[in-house]
Amino acid sequence: MTHVPMVTPERVVLNNVSKSFGPTAALRGVTLTGRAGSIHAVTGENGAGKSTLMKLLAGVHAPDDGEIRLRGQPVRLSTPAHARRAGVSTVFQELTVLPNLTVAENLNLGREPGRLGALDRGASRRRAEAVLGRTGVALDPDRLCGDLSVGEQQLLEIAKGLAADADVFIFDEPTAPLNRTEVDQLEALLVHLKAEGKLVFYISHRLEEIFRFCDTVTVLKDGRLVGTEPIGALTPDRLVTLMVGRELEALFPARPEEAPGEVRLDVRELVATAGAPPVSIALRRGEIVGIAGLEGQGQRALVRALAGAERPVGGAVRVNGDDGTARTMDTRHGTVGAVRQGVALIPEDRKAEGLCLDLPIQDNIWLGPLRGLALWRRARRDAGVIRQLRERLQLRSRPVDAVGSLSGGNQQKVMFGRWLAAGVRVLLVEQPTRGVDVGAKAEIYTLLRQFTAEGGVVLAVSGDLPELIGLCDRILVLRGGAVVADVPGAEATEEGLLALALRDPSGVSA
Amino acid sequence: MIALSMRTSLPLVRLHQAATWALALPPAYLGVALLLTAAAFTRPNLLSPMLLLLIMRQAAPLGLAAMGQSLVMRCRSLDLSAGGVVAMVSFLLTSGALPLPGPLAIAAGLAVGALVGAVNGWMVVRLRASSVIVTLSVSMILSGLVIAWSQFRSAGDAPELLRAFGLARVWGVPLPPIAWLLLLVPVGLFLRSSAFGRAMDAVGANPRAAELSGLPHLRVLFLAHVASGLLSAAGGLLLLAFVGVGNVTLGNDLALNALAAAILGGINFGNGRGGMAGPAVAAFMLVFLFNFLTSLGLGEAGRLMLQGAIIGLAALAYALRHRGATST
Amino acid sequence: MTLARTGLTRYTVGLPLLLAVLLALSAADFRQPQNLVNFGGQVAALLIASLGQMCVTLVAGIDLSVGSVMSLASCLLVSQADPVLAVAMALAMGTLVGAVNGLGVAVAGVHPLVMTLSTATFLQGLCHAVLPIPGGQVPPSLVAAATGQVAGVPLPFVWCAVAIAALGALTTRTRFGLHLFAAGSHPRSAHLNGVRVRAVTVSAYVLCGVMAATAGVFLAARVATGDPNLGASFPLESVAAVALGGVQLTGGIGSVAGVVAGTLSLGLLTNGLNVFGVSPFLRGVLTGALLLAAVSVQRRRHVGL
Repeated sequence: MTHVPMVTPERVVLNNVSKSFGPTAALRGVTLTGRAGSIHAVTGENGAGKSTLMKLLAGVHAPDDGEIRLRGQPVRLSTPAHARRAGVSTVFQELTVLPNLTVAENLNLGREPGRLGALDRGASRRRAEAVLGRTGVALDPDRLCGDLSVGEQQLLEIAKGLAADADVFIFDEPTAPLNRTEVDQLEALLVHLKAEGKLVFYISHRLEEIFRFCDTVTVLKDGRLVGTEPIGALTPDRLVTLMVGRELEALFPARPEEAPGEVRLDVRELVATAGAPPVSIALRRGEIVGIAGLEGQGQRALVRALAGAERPVGGAVRVNGDDGTARTMDTRHGTVGAVRQGVALIPEDRKAEGLCLDLPIQDNIWLGPLRGLALWRRARRDAGVIRQLRERLQLRSRPVDAVGSLSGGNQQKVMFGRWLAAGVRVLLVEQPTRGVDVGAKAEIYTLLRQFTAEGGVVLAVSGDLPELIGLCDRILVLRGGAVVADVPGAEATEEGLLALALRDPSGVSA
Repeated sequence: MIALSMRTSLPLVRLHQAATWALALPPAYLGVALLLTAAAFTRPNLLSPMLLLLIMRQAAPLGLAAMGQSLVMRCRSLDLSAGGVVAMVSFLLTSGALPLPGPLAIAAGLAVGALVGAVNGWMVVRLRASSVIVTLSVSMILSGLVIAWSQFRSAGDAPELLRAFGLARVWGVPLPPIAWLLLLVPVGLFLRSSAFGRAMDAVGANPRAAELSGLPHLRVLFLAHVASGLLSAAGGLLLLAFVGVGNVTLGNDLALNALAAAILGGINFGNGRGGMAGPAVAAFMLVFLFNFLTSLGLGEAGRLMLQGAIIGLAALAYALRHRGATST
Repeated sequence: MTLARTGLTRYTVGLPLLLAVLLALSAADFRQPQNLVNFGGQVAALLIASLGQMCVTLVAGIDLSVGSVMSLASCLLVSQADPVLAVAMALAMGTLVGAVNGLGVAVAGVHPLVMTLSTATFLQGLCHAVLPIPGGQVPPSLVAAATGQVAGVPLPFVWCAVAIAALGALTTRTRFGLHLFAAGSHPRSAHLNGVRVRAVTVSAYVLCGVMAATAGVFLAARVATGDPNLGASFPLESVAAVALGGVQLTGGIGSVAGVVAGTLSLGLLTNGLNVFGVSPFLRGVLTGALLLAAVSVQRRRHVGL
């Protein structure tokens, strides 16, 4: 008996959309069709473009090229409110719950019931209770959201998304802060939505969830579409291959022949935040160590604790200087103490936390030599040193140009330049090539290698697995804040690392 | 191609470059140019060297206060306590409450200013209180104390040394503005070449980045407040020197005028684009404006209206021009 | 524990109660009905102005022009014989000033301090131009409206009650009020949720201007004359009342009840000083000290302005 497939109506079509932010192309000619009554996964590695694609649909950005169709009609979604009115409801990855409003008020924000501007509190409350009841989220409508746990706030975000009279829903990494019970609640909601004929886009790279909830999967890589398949045609292994498959370009400098030297940074039983497991790592002279893992597994807390930006709860860090002295880092002195001891951070968000965008390149670089200097001391820029650094960093801009005008790659080089000028020995880097084009990437990898060849050590957190594999001497995999594996760079594979990072605590691997 | 355009349009290119450069300058420079031109046509006697020097002398206290205010503004803070500081310093020095010889009395006055600055700084840095509220409250407290104590001790004469300083001239040039300039230049150089100055630039441009780069941003902010208190006291001493006797209303609007001078001088919260020269020029401009308007017969009403309009328009122009900037 | 959205703590409510009890117990003069009536008249203007300041503080702003608006309102009041026209002019002026302030802050991005300071200076000059020396006649009907009685209740209390009811309803029962709180705490999240942050901010400043004009009308009617320096102490005192009332200067938290408490605290302090015959000059000292204490208790992450 032939099975005649029922053609469900196309609810959303993203046709050949592209989007660039400055010089970085986030999406290149992606075409995607979402159908009614479907839970449609959108997946890929970090930086593949999943969030950007959905933000086009959510009205946060407008596509540079291509069109979006809703229910067959082309639409231009200019603001989030407009998208919502058009029937697209989004649960963003960053929480937009306002802490000083109650649950009911947050649920109804922007669409409060009431006439002539007056608030109908009773109706607002009833609507909130109805939504909470329908979605099975047990929250008191009158509670202030600032008092909720992160998991509860996320559930509220989800309920808020569901409260809209939408027929297209976007969930961006919804389960990151949720515990098991809460994830089960989410599953019930998704099943309910599907039965009602809604379309749900589910952005995630958690394979267990994709296979558990979704019926269709779209895979993106480097901003391009890899393919869209029904879940039945996939196995976890095949999905991982689709997410990862590309040749390693010859970006990376060769690994050194010599073994790493003595220990530079000795991390002993460091507890980064309350409830985190103790971490012990030894970073040796001359090596580049990578930290891999899914988002939110404690990488950031660990690195920030080492850099002195956050105060760790327990444990100790010892720094071995060039002269052989070993000193324990005093957590009370924060970053000032850390930098003085030669441990410096290159933050992930270099614009907000790393660079003074209005100041010229030379001033940004010259913050490095202020390391350990008493405030009344001379700190005149040494033009010679700056010139040398510019050559070494291959910065073609003039020293007086404002850093804000540089490309991402050059901005990152200025950050390196600062710490090179400071003479630090331990470099902690978050996402070394985020927002950096391919050409500059190669230059940055070479710079990191030179730094370690001269006696420094680099600890790099990155979501880009090929980058870690090509660059690092060894890779630590973090899950739940603990180091679950220490893999030599030469032996690591993407599938292997991803498997280690994804491995469910119950032992089921992807 | 370049050679061709140079031959045909060099004067135009130069003019365009000059215009762009001029418009990018802090409002005070243009303001001074406009004012001097207007005066040349309507009240040319104001441009006589003797009067100009007197105006500079009159502007010295404001110049000092504006210097302090710009230091604090560059660290994204504010100091509105100048009024209270001046009142307290002038009271202490004239009422006989501090029976000290001339030089020591002056030193004590400066010390009081620094102390007030330290208290402000401590509250802003340690308690993370809003600097607007803290400095305003401190000013209220100091003024109130002075008014209350004035019931028991009347204001007397300013110390002899101070009055002499206020009147002294070197080769015909009044001493106070010379002192002001002699302070301005080293401070400016210090900021440009010291770790403190570098740190201050960073703290103003991006406090979070400064912190993560291992700069002692809280200490820098604290020191800026101490400096501002010290400079307000110095300005107060000069005011006292001019007037000769203690007066509770001395320095009343010094804080707000210093704020206006700093903004017109190109200083904004978090950036010091005007350098040290900008607020100095702006202080001169404001005092010249005041004298000019008075000479035109404009009373306090017109003066206030123009002052408000000028500050508002300058701030608007500045904000609109830099609206695309990343720092807020 | 997040501070409840009202910002009320033991200290905000306790302080005025404590002061009231202390005064009632220790000074017979305080308990006289006439003193209480005077007290009501004295704090009414501050209360109205502070309620306006509260709107602006909720969106993380500050309005230093309230004093000049009050003074100008009084000058306008004595310039017209027709009370209706005079009041209309004053209110229109308050609206216009508020709009200018709001647009400068919300659209141009000027810091509220600088913006309201420049409007304050300009308006002060305008006051001196319109009415160089205190004087003039406030229309008698207005004087009666500010100092008389209705059904045995002194009219200042009625003015206060109306202002409290109006702004209380606005902040707790309207969409606009809710959006004020939303825009003040997290403008970006609020915007993502469909709140029109800019419009709300401008409206907050307009409301403040209108309230300041109303306070100026009331005060001028009460003293029955115009005075270009009428509102001189009000910018600072309204900020003090608001801060003492638990309204966070960083926005998003506050309440009308808190502002009432803060105003009462300030008013009781002054009244107490009068009753005890303490030097009125110490009033400034104590207000400043109280303000410092209030602002030290407010915990914030932000350093500086």
